[in-house]
Formats: sequence, C-alpha cells, structure tokens
Amino acid sequence: MIIGAAYFLSFFAELGINDKALLVNFDGKKFVTLYNDVSFKKYIFAKAIKTKEIYFEYKTLLSGDTLNLHDEKLISLKAEYKLYDRIKKDFDNHRVLRNIFEEQKRGDWIILAPYPYGPNENLLDELGDRNPPTGPDRKNFLGTDDRGRDVFARLIYGFRIYMTFALLLTLASYAIGILFGAALGYYGGKVDFLGLRFIEIWASIPFLFTVMVISSIMIPNFTLLIVILSLFYWISMARYIRAEFLREKSNDYVQAAIAVGVSDRRIILSHILPNSLTPVISFLPFTVISGIAILASLDFLGFGLPEPTPSWGQLLSQGVSNLSSWWLTFSPMAAMFITLMLIAFIGEAVREALDPKVYSRMR
Amino acid sequence: MKKKHRKELLKVENLKTHFMIEEQKAKAVDGLDFNVFEGEFFGIVGESGSGKSVTALSILRLIPDPPGKISEGKIFFRDRNLLGLSWEDMRKIRGNEISMIFQEPMTSLNPVFTIGVQIMEPLMIHRNMDKKEAREESIQMLKKVGIPSPEMRVDDYPHQFSGGMRQRAMIAIALSCNPSLLIADEPTTALDVTVQAQILELMTEIKNKRKDSAIILITHDLAVIAETCDRVMVMYCGKIQEIAGTINLFENPLHPYTKGLMDSIPTLTKKKKRLNTIPGNVPGILNFPPGCPFHPRCKHKMPVCEKVVPTLLEVEEKHLVRCHLYNKEGKN
Repeated sequence: MIIGAAYFLSFFAELGINDKALLVNFDGKKFVTLYNDVSFKKYIFAKAIKTKEIYFEYKTLLSGDTLNLHDEKLISLKAEYKLYDRIKKDFDNHRVLRNIFEEQKRGDWIILAPYPYGPNENLLDELGDRNPPTGPDRKNFLGTDDRGRDVFARLIYGFRIYMTFALLLTLASYAIGILFGAALGYYGGKVDFLGLRFIEIWASIPFLFTVMVISSIMIPNFTLLIVILSLFYWISMARYIRAEFLREKSNDYVQAAIAVGVSDRRIILSHILPNSLTPVISFLPFTVISGIAILASLDFLGFGLPEPTPSWGQLLSQGVSNLSSWWLTFSPMAAMFITLMLIAFIGEAVREALDPKVYSRMR
Repeated sequence: MKKKHRKELLKVENLKTHFMIEEQKAKAVDGLDFNVFEGEFFGIVGESGSGKSVTALSILRLIPDPPGKISEGKIFFRDRNLLGLSWEDMRKIRGNEISMIFQEPMTSLNPVFTIGVQIMEPLMIHRNMDKKEAREESIQMLKKVGIPSPEMRVDDYPHQFSGGMRQRAMIAIALSCNPSLLIADEPTTALDVTVQAQILELMTEIKNKRKDSAIILITHDLAVIAETCDRVMVMYCGKIQEIAGTINLFENPLHPYTKGLMDSIPTLTKKKKRLNTIPGNVPGILNFPPGCPFHPRCKHKMPVCEKVVPTLLEVEEKHLVRCHLYNKEGKN
C-alpha cells in the first residue's frame, strides 16, 4: 500500500521537489513554468531588449540637450532596464528570482515547490565557500553530493526511476519467460528438450559480466538496460511456467478444450495460463526487488544508467569515495532498505492471502 | 429390419492404437473394426483397461503423442478419413461434428472460467457467433440439459455446481454445436445413481430428437447399456470380443467373457447365494497372453485357445463373436 502510494506520488514529484517554480506572476501576467517555461523566457527576453532600447533611445534624445543624469524619467527607465536585465540573467533560477521579486516589491510573486531543489541542479553558487559534498542542513535535508546536487531530490527522483525500471524489467522478463515456458510445457517432446538445453546454455552465461561488457561497449540508456537485463531475467520464470504447464496440460479440462476444437494458442493463453499463474504471483514482488538491487549494483559499478540520471547506486559509489560524508552512503541505503522491505511485505501479504492453510504459520 | 436402411455415420477399420511404455509397445487398441449407424445408440462395454477410452480418444485423435500413436487403420466419418485430415481440419470437426463428454465432470471444466463462457467457446469457434448470441444460446443449452434458472447459473463457476450439474454442463458444451456424433466416455461413472438415471434419460432424449446423429456410450456398467443402447460392443484387451444388438446380447450372450459379465450382475428374479465373478484380472497391457487373451480366465478353455487368436465370426445375424467355441476349426 505504502509503496504503491509512494510510487504514485513520485510521478508528481515535480510539484513538490523542483528548482523550477510552479507559477510565476510577473508584470500582472501569470506563467505556469513547471514543465515549460518557454513563454516566460520569451516574455522576459523580449521585455529586456525592449526596455533597453527605450532607455537608450531616451538617453540619446536627452543627450541633444545637456544630459541631465538626474532626469527622473531617465532614472526610472534605467532601473526598469536593469531589472529586466537581471531577471534575464537568472530567469531559470527561480529561487534567485524570488529574492529579486521580494526586493523589488512590485507586486510580482512566485510560487516555488515546497522543496525548491532539482535533482540535477548544481548548487555550487548557493553553497558559497563551502565545498561539496556538504552535510545536511535546513536548506538541503540530506546535504549535497560531490557535485553540489541536492541528495534528497536525487533520492526521490531516483526512487521513481528505480521503481519504473524494476517494474518494466519484471514485466518484460515475465512476458518472455511465460511465453517461452508455456511453449515448452505445452508442446513438450522435442520442443521441450531443445528449449531446456537452450535455457541451460543461456543460464550459464555469466550474467553480470555480460551486462558490464555490453554497457561498456554501448552507452546504456534506460530502455537498453531493460532489454539487456530482461534477456537474462526470464529464465527462472520460464522454468516455473514450464513445470506448471506440464502439470496443467494433463488435466481433463485441457483435453476437453481440445475436444471442443479450441486452437492451441487459445488453450495456452486462456485455458492453461490463468491456472498456472501461481509462481508468477508469488515471485512478482521478489523479482521487482531484485530488479532494483541489480540496477543499484550496476549503477554502483558505473555500468548502469548514464550521468546525470539521479541514481541510488551512483550516490552509494560517491559515498564510498567520500567516506567521511556519511549522508551519501546512509541516505540511499536507507531508501533502498525501506523500499525493498515494503515490496517484500507485499510479497509476504500475497503469499499469505493465497495460503490455504490460514494458521500454518502460527503453529 | 430398420437398421439395414440406415446410413453409416462412423466406420472404424482395423484401428490400432499403441503406446510406447519403456521401449515396449502396449497395444491398447489392437485391430478394431466396427461401425455406427445414424440414429444409433452404440454401447462399448468392457473392464477397466480394455481399450474403451482409447478407442474414443482415437476417434477424435486425442491420443497423447508421444507416447501414444495410432499406428494403423482408418476411421471414416461420413466417408472422410479422420486419420488423414490435417490438424486444422480436425479442429473444425472436434466439438462441431463429433464431440465428447468426459468421464470426470469435476476436472473436465476449467476452474477459471464461468460455465457460460465454456459453453460459449465452441459456439464462437464453430458457429461464428458473437458474444451476445452465444450467451443466449448457452442459456438455452443449460435449459435443455435441465439446469434450473439458467439465466443466473450461466455466470457461475464450476465449483459452484454440483457433480451432476457439472456433468450436465459438460453435456451442454458437447451438444452446443449439435454434433452428429456424441462420444460419451463413462459419463455416469462419477455420479450417484439417481443423477445417473437423469443423465441417461437426457441422452436418450437427445438421441431421439435427432434421427441422423448417433451416440457412442462407453461404460463398464451393463445396466446402463441395457437401459439405453441399441447395439453393444464388448471389448477385452483392445479387441472386440462380441458385437450384437442389446436385446440379443442380453438374452443370448455367446462369448464366455460376456457371459461372465452377465453373471456378475445381480438380478431381481433369481435368488442366488453369491454373485459369480470372473476369476483373475485383466492381464497387464504389456504381456497379453498369446492366443485368445481371455483364455487364462476362461471356463471353456481349449488347447487351441492358448495358441491361436480367434477371428471375429458372425455366428448369428448381426451377432459377431471372437471365440474358438463357435469356430469350426476350434472345435476340432
């Protein structure tokens, strides 16, 4: 439950944890800058150029006479032009923007995210003379990493990426495993024999090294990693499903279905499969767990998702190289621990719900 | 006789179905010749392991291969050799023209589908009905097989049905496409006696409704045969031992095996101390005795029985027997 809610919420992480403002009210105009701040940028840039032009026009106009630097209009124009110029410079750093707005007291306001730091945002300017990684403080709950990025933001965005990755990996590998296992179990005979030998050969390829080799040749991205990993992850599920199919296909209802003239494909997919999903259901959470763990370890080794993707494994490896910065090691470990534990609880609950012997564990 | 004018629906010629068991050939069905006419209720009777069910599965080509194999013979259904058909053509016949009722109503229904869905399946496959029509039709089918309030029961799962109702549902599935040939493989074995009678009545009713279709009833219960069938085939060790009209067979059984079977039925009229049994067991499938397979258990054993396999002879009109007692050579 908690993990499901957390995962769901993580899709709205931009609302809560972001260096971009949610809403900007400027010159009486409102800009939704959350996902797309182009209109705001355009407006600012155009305005900056225009005010500059006006200012210089007015200045040359005045310079015909004696240039009165204390001309009120000139001063106000200059102030306006300087303001827009300043905003233009910092238009994408909304925290700075907020400070400017507050300074000016022109009625402009900006709504920042409750936790106004982005996962890939470099905070070096704000850290001042402190060198990253900096420890947790009131501004950055969990400190910053060795590149001055906020650890908390990276953890949350990393959670989303890790969960999505693990779920997709599970989905892909189960799809392959179920289809393969179903074919082996249903057709049996030569198909089964050859398929099993193939599985044995495939399973004996050292998986971690292969992934490392592949990802050192190609730059791995999210999709590629899922493809590579699911090529190795389907094996155990194929074995279970094969066994289930071998058992189920000898049941009378399968023969009855054949006798009624149902096609092979339909028998496999809609008659036997629903009856042999037991291993799928009971293994699903644990495969998700191992999906998260494997991505973390690949990231840790540097063969996982490329920089600057927010990643727990990468944080951990930073922690190892900066051992004195305990928050770099501690926070991803804690995050991983909690996540994996929650998923394992799901698995346990599923197992318990399906357990016909209710009190079997009590005795 | 009426039968002479009837058309042959199914003709089995020299059917041999073998199973490979640990490199040995088990002849489950060994040279079967029989035919079933339209409008006939044909019974196949025999002890367990005599090849009845294998015969039925062979007709629908449902023998698991490996280890089983139909090694020889022809099965003509309306002049088409079923054994020569492609798998795809066979699929079109199954459930549509020939359908089968299985022995175990408890396991023959898929536990994850509702009864309705399972009856709808053949309708949608063979009759190209859409879901709505098929659902209507399946409700009709359930009504036909006597399930009360079928509109509600159609959405029930098999575990919500009692044994008798499941068997009715199985029959509804088998009958849904109006097959010309219905093979019932011990449909009543798993049911209690009252339900048995209902099911048999239902099947007789179905048969009487359609004159051009036939039912093959496989059972080991002679009472069931006597009640329903027109003609009976007695099987033993994968071979036909006797074929005759039901009345003829019961009044005048010729084969010692048939006689033995008859003697082991309790009767109301005669007072007997104890029922007769046939001594011994059905021989193991891998070592059928040479000669007549029944000779180790036969009261009328002759020397020739141990060596020569008797041939199927027409002793009376439409009454065929495989026994040396009725063979002139055997008597010598």
